[in-house]
Amino acid sequence: MDNATGARLDDRIERSALGDQLAFEQIVTQHQGMVFSMACHFLRDRSLAEELAQEVFLSLHQNLHSIKSPEHLTFWLRKVTSHRCIDQSRRQKLRPTVSLEDVAEPAASASENDLFLSEMLRRVVDTLPEKARMVVILRYQEDLEPTEIARVLDMPLNTVKSHLRRSLSMLRDKLSRTLGEVTL
Amino acid sequence: MSRLDDELRNAFKRQQPPADFTARVLERIARQPEPRPSLWQRLAALVEPPKMRWVAIGVTAALLIAIGAAQYSRLANRVVDDTGKLSQAVPTPEEKKAVVKPAEIDVVITPSSPAAIPKKHTLSLKRHQLAAARVEKAPEMKSEAEAAKDKLMLALSIASSTLNDAQKAVHDDGPKP
Repeated sequence: MDNATGARLDDRIERSALGDQLAFEQIVTQHQGMVFSMACHFLRDRSLAEELAQEVFLSLHQNLHSIKSPEHLTFWLRKVTSHRCIDQSRRQKLRPTVSLEDVAEPAASASENDLFLSEMLRRVVDTLPEKARMVVILRYQEDLEPTEIARVLDMPLNTVKSHLRRSLSMLRDKLSRTLGEVTL
Repeated sequence: MSRLDDELRNAFKRQQPPADFTARVLERIARQPEPRPSLWQRLAALVEPPKMRWVAIGVTAALLIAIGAAQYSRLANRVVDDTGKLSQAVPTPEEKKAVVKPAEIDVVITPSSPAAIPKKHTLSLKRHQLAAARVEKAPEMKSEAEAAKDKLMLALSIASSTLNDAQKAVHDDGPKP
């Protein structure tokens, strides 16, 4: 984020906290993709993800006075979205009870259809426990470093690293069995 | 960076919510009731400048009234003293000895009348003695009570005018239409 963009966002946060609806609308527009995608990838349900994303922004509206900077705003949104997703998943038992072994094998090779490979990856990630799943989403959707993920999820750095290691190893194993001819 | 990383980035790239997402968020915010401020927020609001002025005025007025009431109460205590003298708020040891207690009144009265005086008569006699003492010192006490009353009225009028000035100042500071 360059200085001018940061200053503009800073100004928007300040004006939103003072009740400027237009400034808040701009903040929502700027961050809705991040919040909605996190929820959508985690919950695998667009309508539930939209509902959760709306609640995150409602909560932001009520807590604008505590936001100190644009970086803090992004961190706050990621943290609140992550925790709400995990809570929602635990409450509604959304995580599929099927085991990794039960995930359907693709009928076509990756070279034939990249979309199919992406869907396969999402389905395998979906079988991970809640925190491990969120670690993968923050790592690959938000491109966060393990230290940043540890801060967002309030967990030790080594736990984040071991989640990532285990998840990648499992994904590699699953996909190499499925797409044996492709080097991952 | 492995191909798996690239594939994961591709699989988990950001998605956009429906086009009316922002409008729906704003609509929900508009529907929400105003959040009730917490106890701390309400306490913090008290020390904001315009309200702080009212708090200071209130405290000053309360202090003036309390001082006036205390002064009045001290004088009133002197009036009801049993000895009939105008005593201090805290009596000296000699004054304490001179105070006639109800039991002593019984002892004094009983020998002069052979028949036993009922207890209610003894109490009635004590009331008469106190009333007589008050009547004796009435002019002096009355003047002191008047002085105390004047002081209290002055304190109240000062508090009232201060409050009026402050209210006027706050109204002048307020937003102009």
